[in-house]
Amino acid sequence: MVKAVCTGCSLLCEDIDLTLKAGGVGEANNLCRKGFGHFSALFNERTIPRVDNQEASLDQAISEAAKILKNAKKPLLYGWSSSSQEAQKVGVDLARKLGAVIDDTTSFCQDVLMDLVLKGKIPTCTLDDVRNFADVMIFWGSDPTNSHPRHLSRFSYYPRGEKRQKGYEEERDSIAVDVRKSSTAKLCKYYFKVAPGGDADFINSVISVLDGKIPRVGDKKKMIELGTVLRKAEFGVIFPGLGLVSALQDQMGLLETLLAKLNSIKPYKVIPTSEHFNTRGFNQLLMSETGFINRVSFKGGVSSNPDLGIEGASRSCDAALIIGSDPLSELPFGVARRLAKMPLIAIDPRRSLTTDAARVVIPSAMYGLESGGSAIRTDGVKVSFSPAYPAEKPNDEEILKRIMEAV
Amino acid sequence: MDLAVTIITYREIFQYEAEKKKGRSSEDYKKLSASVALDKGDMANAGIKAGQNVSMSNDVGQIVVAARLSEEDEPHPGIAFMITSPWSNQLVREDVCKISVPGYKRVSAKASPSTETATDISDLFKRITA
Repeated sequence: MVKAVCTGCSLLCEDIDLTLKAGGVGEANNLCRKGFGHFSALFNERTIPRVDNQEASLDQAISEAAKILKNAKKPLLYGWSSSSQEAQKVGVDLARKLGAVIDDTTSFCQDVLMDLVLKGKIPTCTLDDVRNFADVMIFWGSDPTNSHPRHLSRFSYYPRGEKRQKGYEEERDSIAVDVRKSSTAKLCKYYFKVAPGGDADFINSVISVLDGKIPRVGDKKKMIELGTVLRKAEFGVIFPGLGLVSALQDQMGLLETLLAKLNSIKPYKVIPTSEHFNTRGFNQLLMSETGFINRVSFKGGVSSNPDLGIEGASRSCDAALIIGSDPLSELPFGVARRLAKMPLIAIDPRRSLTTDAARVVIPSAMYGLESGGSAIRTDGVKVSFSPAYPAEKPNDEEILKRIMEAV
Repeated sequence: MDLAVTIITYREIFQYEAEKKKGRSSEDYKKLSASVALDKGDMANAGIKAGQNVSMSNDVGQIVVAARLSEEDEPHPGIAFMITSPWSNQLVREDVCKISVPGYKRVSAKASPSTETATDISDLFKRITA
């Protein structure tokens, strides 16, 4: 068996052993269903170099990509969450050289939360801290059982830890707050159902309970019980998801208020549940280079504003390089349609709606299995990995360097 | 009778696995994506049976998907659930909410029984690239 780091999600599980067989993954240890699917993707729907729907050589595809970027007045470089740190760095340098707009998948997801975490506005910790010390876990608008399948078993609920030798049976409480009874909510000791968009009211009720007041929403008895659990915690952690972020919209300050209240009683931290394996890595890198986590333009210096996100950029940019992402599948119809109308360059190991619509397709090696590199786990821990089964295909970093030389 | 619903989209591991193992054009992926979970009472009121196709539409777009009975413990009239996919994105408004997150979690739409076959991903691709 070969050791591998799984790049199926932002937990970057480092304890994978696997073998490959003809057409798929053979034996595997510690690989979750999502990781198994992720690695199985190596064996189907792989991309080949294409230019204008015709098979081409890699050199031709790279040359055509460079031509599109050079001729664009306002190119967009988008994706990045499934690229290594090293590739992301080359991507930022390419954006700087082109005077391009650069944005990542968090601009239509959880960037507002990541911004708070990376700027130190809300307290955070590592998942190893969670495993060793945390006793109250709150999954709020997140469902790691589906999105990060080993979250609960490796870190947040089931494992024994340094100060949590009795695990979930006696020493950990789990709470789910969600609009639906998700797979994670079914596993939690407490489930609080909120109305769509009702998270702000729920936060206010939690603060009321912590202040010893009667909550305005929710079952009063259950809310008071929640207050007791939160007060008794030794170390609590909130894992917010898109459900919470999209419900709060511009009221994210309420989350800060709740955390300030909780931390006046006991230590409480927040860890984002980023979807892709190096989402946080891109946000951290771009912040260190520009002061902004995404939505950056390098035209005439560095600037950032909401319209530089993928939604706004799909209106104002005239060409796009999409790397490791499928916005034509993932984004609302209107945005996908506008993107499809511009010359697209897609760098991706696998076929997608975006590669199908792209003028130029450049196949890349799959990180973790075929290519090495480093990435930042969703809690900020750096993970380096070597290719389990090295491929002859270039990885994102190598492709971007060649495009950089050609523009 | 049209049924007015607010669709909440979510991620699901089996759909992810189907896409990774068999691709976006596979029947397995379509079966999980072109599907909406409805409240039992809503289905009865609108004359929609589990497994029957329904047309979901709003001012953004229209799709035909299979209706299924929600697995929620409690009734949730007016609320429907769809796994995030190119199908659900046909109904998501492109204008973004205040912090720029599109309304994936609160999509207003109408559902009505349909005799059409479920929308195929090739049709979705044609609409996007038209």
